[in-house]
Amino acid sequence: MANQDDKQKPVAQEAKPERLTKKELRSIFLRYMFLPESAMSYEKMHGAAWAVSYMPLGNKYYKNNDQAYQRLLKRHSPFYNTEPQTGQLVNGIVASLEEQIGMGNTNVSEEMPVDVKASLMGPLAGIGDSLMQGILIPTLLSIAMGLSKDGSPLGPLFYIVTYAVIITIVEVVCFKGGYKLGVSAVDKIVGESAKRLTNMFTVLGTIVIGGLAASTIALKTTVKIPFGSQTKPLETIIDGFFPGLLPLVAVLFTFWLISSKRMSANKVILILTLVATVGVLIKFL
Amino acid sequence: MNMALFWQAALVGILGYLGAVDSIVMGGVAYGFYILGRPLIAGFMCGLIFEDVKAGVLCGLAVQAVFIATMHTGGTSSTEITYASYGGIGLAMATTKDPAIAVTLAIFIGQTFGLIFYNLRMAGFSYFNHRADRDIDRFNKHALIMDQVVWPQIITFLVRAVPIWAAIYFGRGAVEALLKVIPTQITSIITVLGGLLPALGIAMLMNMLIKNKLQLIYFLFGFAMIAFAKMSTIGLVFIAVLIAYIVYQISGRKGSNNSSNLSGTAKAIQTEDEYEDTDLF
Repeated sequence: MANQDDKQKPVAQEAKPERLTKKELRSIFLRYMFLPESAMSYEKMHGAAWAVSYMPLGNKYYKNNDQAYQRLLKRHSPFYNTEPQTGQLVNGIVASLEEQIGMGNTNVSEEMPVDVKASLMGPLAGIGDSLMQGILIPTLLSIAMGLSKDGSPLGPLFYIVTYAVIITIVEVVCFKGGYKLGVSAVDKIVGESAKRLTNMFTVLGTIVIGGLAASTIALKTTVKIPFGSQTKPLETIIDGFFPGLLPLVAVLFTFWLISSKRMSANKVILILTLVATVGVLIKFL
Repeated sequence: MNMALFWQAALVGILGYLGAVDSIVMGGVAYGFYILGRPLIAGFMCGLIFEDVKAGVLCGLAVQAVFIATMHTGGTSSTEITYASYGGIGLAMATTKDPAIAVTLAIFIGQTFGLIFYNLRMAGFSYFNHRADRDIDRFNKHALIMDQVVWPQIITFLVRAVPIWAAIYFGRGAVEALLKVIPTQITSIITVLGGLLPALGIAMLMNMLIKNKLQLIYFLFGFAMIAFAKMSTIGLVFIAVLIAYIVYQISGRKGSNNSSNLSGTAKAIQTEDEYEDTDLF
């Protein structure tokens, strides 16, 4: 199918409709960068922010065709949710598909961008969230916190500069890559061979958040155990044979509540508050 | 009326909007939520506003330690980090400038008012989504922009900036009085809860990543490397990359085994890595 596309492109270019200009692509990129969470709700999440993002494309191809323009807005308004920064990849793919539709390429159906979005948002959210919130941000922040131990503004400045530079590059590369690859990128993300790649990122993310759990969850017991005439804090004994035992129990318990009991984050917060309250009142924590 | 505090509180409130997950002004989440919204940066900003950068950064540092594993996945949040950072640190900077107080206030604000406001907004904005759908049905592009972007952002600004401003402007006296009478048990409960909160953020991420309970072994490996082997986080990232790459290589080999159904070919294929990487078909 990719070959057919290539053959058709020059034909389509000779006819009136032309490809998106650099300026129009930049406009779609920037709108998607700024807007996805503009009217975020549980019902639609990013939803119709897509429709607003694709208005530059509609203005170009459907200036005299209100019905086609309306269909464009309509197919970009249902529920959609993913990690918005790495999500520029999907935006790039959709831009290349919508460009073909706008140019009148009959090989690309109007359902295609919708299907692409629906099949990519889940896998990409898992990978994107674990790379960004699970690895990149905590790592940069822990370096920044080290720089600021004495209250120096160096840490915040370091984080602002490094994250701003990295995330700008990530967004641009994702968008350009998605636009260049077009539909073939879908296979790279959800196809059979991509399962290996997804699996690789999952392993990477899971190991790093295991470390994150050990370094960030702070849970210590205050119980003291009598040793003859002396008392010894239970925490030192636990640390002797299993450092971080309580944090590990806490995270596995929370994971069990969310994954097996299918509890919402808000319910889990209430349970954790209850655990903290009881723990403090019985003088265990 | 304290004009200096009025403007300081207003500035912190505006930053509390700019750094929010649902604010669009700072390039969406890129320069807003993930930069301005981080407690360490909030501490620095509040330090600038209250003309004591060092105290601000120290407050930010303490709050950041609690919220470093805060996750925002699938629209649910393990804590409302922006209300927590700007409300908690701003209020602490307006009163005692004590990092411990900043942490207590941040957890308290983030887990109560913050989450309530956030959840109400997330549920209530369905109203604008329905209006946007109606605008598309009527093919009214101007109204679509108003209902999808302009009005929701005005409401978001009011819901975010005004409470933070009010908390700092009016809360100063109340906080000082409250800190004197509050029982120590409440503060220790909040401290314990602060230590527990990262567990929720991490569990949310685990829930996205771990589909097969056997994969917990990778999680435990990462945990052990930090807890037992006392490795640094960056060192762990390098080792995790290595292991992930090995897993990638091995999974490719397994795939070619299955397709050929001959275990004996595994060694022969081993020498032809190029063929494995580009799929057999």
